[in-house]
Amino acid sequence: MRLKVLPPTLRKNNRYLVIEIKITSPISKDDLVTIIWDACVRFQGEANTANFNLWVMKFFEFEKQDGYYSYKAIVRCQRGFVDDVRSALALANRYNGSRISITTIGLSGTIKAAQRYI
Amino acid sequence: MFFDLNIKGSSLDNNLDLAIEASKYGWEHINFSYNQDTFKNALEFRQEMEDSLNDEISFDFTLEIKSTNINDIRKIARKFRNNASCISVVGGDLKVNRAVVENIQIDVLSRPYLKRFDSGLNHVLAKEALRNNVAVELCFNDILRSYLSHRSKVISNFKDIYTLYRKFDFPLVLSSRAESVFDIRTTHDFIAVFKQTGLTVPEIEKSFSTAHDILEFNKDRKNMIFKGVRRVVDEA
Repeated sequence: MRLKVLPPTLRKNNRYLVIEIKITSPISKDDLVTIIWDACVRFQGEANTANFNLWVMKFFEFEKQDGYYSYKAIVRCQRGFVDDVRSALALANRYNGSRISITTIGLSGTIKAAQRYI
Repeated sequence: MFFDLNIKGSSLDNNLDLAIEASKYGWEHINFSYNQDTFKNALEFRQEMEDSLNDEISFDFTLEIKSTNINDIRKIARKFRNNASCISVVGGDLKVNRAVVENIQIDVLSRPYLKRFDSGLNHVLAKEALRNNVAVELCFNDILRSYLSHRSKVISNFKDIYTLYRKFDFPLVLSSRAESVFDIRTTHDFIAVFKQTGLTVPEIEKSFSTAHDILEFNKDRKNMIFKGVRRVVDEA
């Protein structure tokens, strides 16, 4: 049996971060999920990361640039923890021996509005 | 006003890539840093860079002195003072840290905590830095490239410097020291990281304006006769 949907006043408020990823080897959406969780747990700790309500909503692949693969994604996090999440993501440096760079290029309250940064 | 006084300069192509990426991410001015051996060569391709960038982002060159000999640092600073828009010295050695904050010709003491178990600054050096207007530079790349216990220690050193900064109010500069496009982040990310380390937003904004003030001051440095006296050209 499914849980009944919470009334709007009891739901968590979300923010959607549009992130740009540069990496020297190709990755999938599942890899990105691992990268994001690892980055947050490593920099903010397990107890803090529990507040973030992280979810990768959308994942976009772009053409390979000179020397690196380029991706963009929309990541959900809880309102009030945006700075914590974006600082943790900004400090991701390596994944499986490849150089990686994640930076937040947009922030929005809805997925639809976040898509204009893609 | 987003100024980055320390992006590691290398070849022309790499500099252009970095500058374009920085401009895309919201930076308004960047300084490419070169050491005393490569600084003159870097000045030679300034015009070519200006033509390629086409006013997309303003840039300049920082002389980054890397030496543990105090007399050498003094000589190099004097030699390049009129050519460089900013002179910084890589710290870490206590004698170097002390000599730099006492030298009014030097603009920035870069990373006083480098390869140390403490922050490399104390109340004496903080007072000297304030008196001689020498800024202390903290680099984002030092947090980015380290991990686990080492990263914690770097952040701990930053926090010690913030405590001194709040008490003595010496100039503080935050910079990225990016070497490739993988090290550049958006200005908001940069602020978010330093917020997490314990600085407040007004303090971060002040550090950007400090970087701007250093460049503005150095543009007019040749008109300074001595401290407090400046040659004016009919300003009235």
